[in-house]
Amino acid sequence: MAAEPAGHLESLEPLASGAPLLRVQDLRVRFATGDGLVQAVAGVDLRLARGETLGLVGESGSGKSVLSLALLGLVPQGQVTGQIWFRGEELLAMSPARLRRLRGDRIAMIFQDPMTALNPYLRIGTQITEVLRLHQGLGRRAARERAIELLRDAGIAAPERRIDQYPHQFSGGMRQRALIAQGLACGPELLIADEPTSALDVTIQAQILDLIRLRTRSLGTAVILITHDLGVVAGACDTLAVMYAGRIVERGPTGPVFQAPRHPYTQGLIRSVPRLDRPGAERLVAIPGQPPSGIGLPPCCPFHPRCAQVLPICRQALPPEVDLGGGHGVACWLYPEPR
Amino acid sequence: MTPMEALPVPAAPDPLPPPVSPAAVAWRRLRGHRMALASLVLLALYALLCLGAPLLPLHPYAEQVLAHENLPPSFQPAGITLLATREAELRQLLAAEQRPASPRERTQLAGLARAVASDPVHRRIYLLGTDALGRDLLSRLLYGGRISILIGLLGTVTAMLLGVALGSIAGYAGGLLDTVIMRGVDILFGLPYLLVVIILMALFGRSVFNLFFAVALLSWLTLCRVVRGQVIGLRHAEFVTAARAMGASPARIVFRHLTPNTLGVIVVFATLMVPEFIMAESFLSFLGLGVSAPLASWGSLVADGAAVMELYPWQLLGPAVAMTGFLFAMNFLGDGLRDALDPQSRRGGVHGR
Repeated sequence: MAAEPAGHLESLEPLASGAPLLRVQDLRVRFATGDGLVQAVAGVDLRLARGETLGLVGESGSGKSVLSLALLGLVPQGQVTGQIWFRGEELLAMSPARLRRLRGDRIAMIFQDPMTALNPYLRIGTQITEVLRLHQGLGRRAARERAIELLRDAGIAAPERRIDQYPHQFSGGMRQRALIAQGLACGPELLIADEPTSALDVTIQAQILDLIRLRTRSLGTAVILITHDLGVVAGACDTLAVMYAGRIVERGPTGPVFQAPRHPYTQGLIRSVPRLDRPGAERLVAIPGQPPSGIGLPPCCPFHPRCAQVLPICRQALPPEVDLGGGHGVACWLYPEPR
Repeated sequence: MTPMEALPVPAAPDPLPPPVSPAAVAWRRLRGHRMALASLVLLALYALLCLGAPLLPLHPYAEQVLAHENLPPSFQPAGITLLATREAELRQLLAAEQRPASPRERTQLAGLARAVASDPVHRRIYLLGTDALGRDLLSRLLYGGRISILIGLLGTVTAMLLGVALGSIAGYAGGLLDTVIMRGVDILFGLPYLLVVIILMALFGRSVFNLFFAVALLSWLTLCRVVRGQVIGLRHAEFVTAARAMGASPARIVFRHLTPNTLGVIVVFATLMVPEFIMAESFLSFLGLGVSAPLASWGSLVADGAAVMELYPWQLLGPAVAMTGFLFAMNFLGDGLRDALDPQSRRGGVHGR
């Protein structure tokens, strides 16, 4: 399946080797809350090739952050079922020690809020050298040299002096750069970026996204970019998966999905994004209603209360995912399984 | 756009500010806090005097000069005070009995005057007076301060080591480990403290070491609870998740990432704990469970002084004032630190002046 990236200047290296970097099968995460069992992730299948950038889109509460934490084995007190294969290894069956070897080294994560993701009491340099010393066994001095290099690569000026400063002396954008430097310190094969730009100024957002794209491209790192901003996906991702109520409702190469979104939810999302290239042509359309809470989801399409094209069957059964060809898949009863 | 281009480009950024650690920020705030700063100076003075006691020209704190019993504070040599006191006593006696001095009383006084003139021991000056055994109260106060402050610090250090370690572990691990540690704390809290100390003293005898042990034994409980609470609050902070995502082990997360973040609370707590331990020691000394003579602590000095406060009030006043001053300073410093370390509390402290 040739993922045809749209909106990219450079062409991707062909997805040669058959085995995907990451394969997720029927991943479910449940939390026991006072109100009942919450299905934060309700059966997600995912494939990610080496070097691929996947945009994971959804509203708040759609389960995208929990999914990303589950990929690192970091779900707090939740029941995780299903399978996650990373480089052919079953992540959920791994020993904690083995998992710790992978985290930060082969799989790294960048968090949403750079203000809180850095330890306020440790120097920036310490927080970057920590990863290097942990996974690459570098000595104090070597780690420091490398950290300076990493900070420079992340676009921080005067890194040899910045490295000794504390997070409160960094601006938001610089902190996110530092976090990117930290995340990419060991040249991971997979980077999970959980809304890396939504806490930043608009002017900085593009820079940070460019930085992530540039650095991961040069390292050959695959990226799962979690966002609620479709503009970010259009600009930065090869493929895209839309999540709703813990499920992926539509997925595919970015270009085709944007040009012809199939799921009513995806269509709604795209219509709700302001577009400058079609001045005045369309109004912004909001999707009515609220996303479900994930508590006691009925076995039906979770989107049906908000859907304008709802069919009788939508209220009775969960739509299976249908392959529309070219890697484009959708889980909606409007698209019955071709026989 | 031409005017814009004409403007000087703000290219060269300001020279980078030097690294400023959170501790440095707190220190800067503390310096704006007058009471805390004054307390700090006072405490430094205490430390200097007590630590430097062996170097000061003090009379040995345990040496008894029986002739000098119960002398009031004075800048004059002890002999003169002694003579004046005796003369006054005699005059009072004669006035009461309405008779002239007997020859025996005269020779006694003259003999004392001769002894004062000849014996160098009478040239001693007791700035804070003497106790019932003629020991220099100033010397005893400073040496007593050594023991009191030492006990306060030792209790605090034990509390820091045990309380912070166990509290952090309990808070981060949760579950069974948390339950075991915290129920242990509850049980120790439930023990009748005095009874435990009395049993300890009875079993192992009264010594300074056992007193240290008695204070240290239960010192860490409160801090353990406080740190646990802090760690539970921080456990799900994003930087902790980030550290886990980085592959840090639980021990590393607890002691490298979490504990430093609770340091502010710990420091404040510690400054407020030192007085508590000094009070505990005083209390034990007051009950006769503390240090034994000729060693002194502030508590034992207060106890001794309180017994005779109607006749010789200076024997209570000296140690009481010294101890109160120290405790006040510690508490003010603790308050100042709390303001300095907690950016939210601005009232009364740095900005509310």
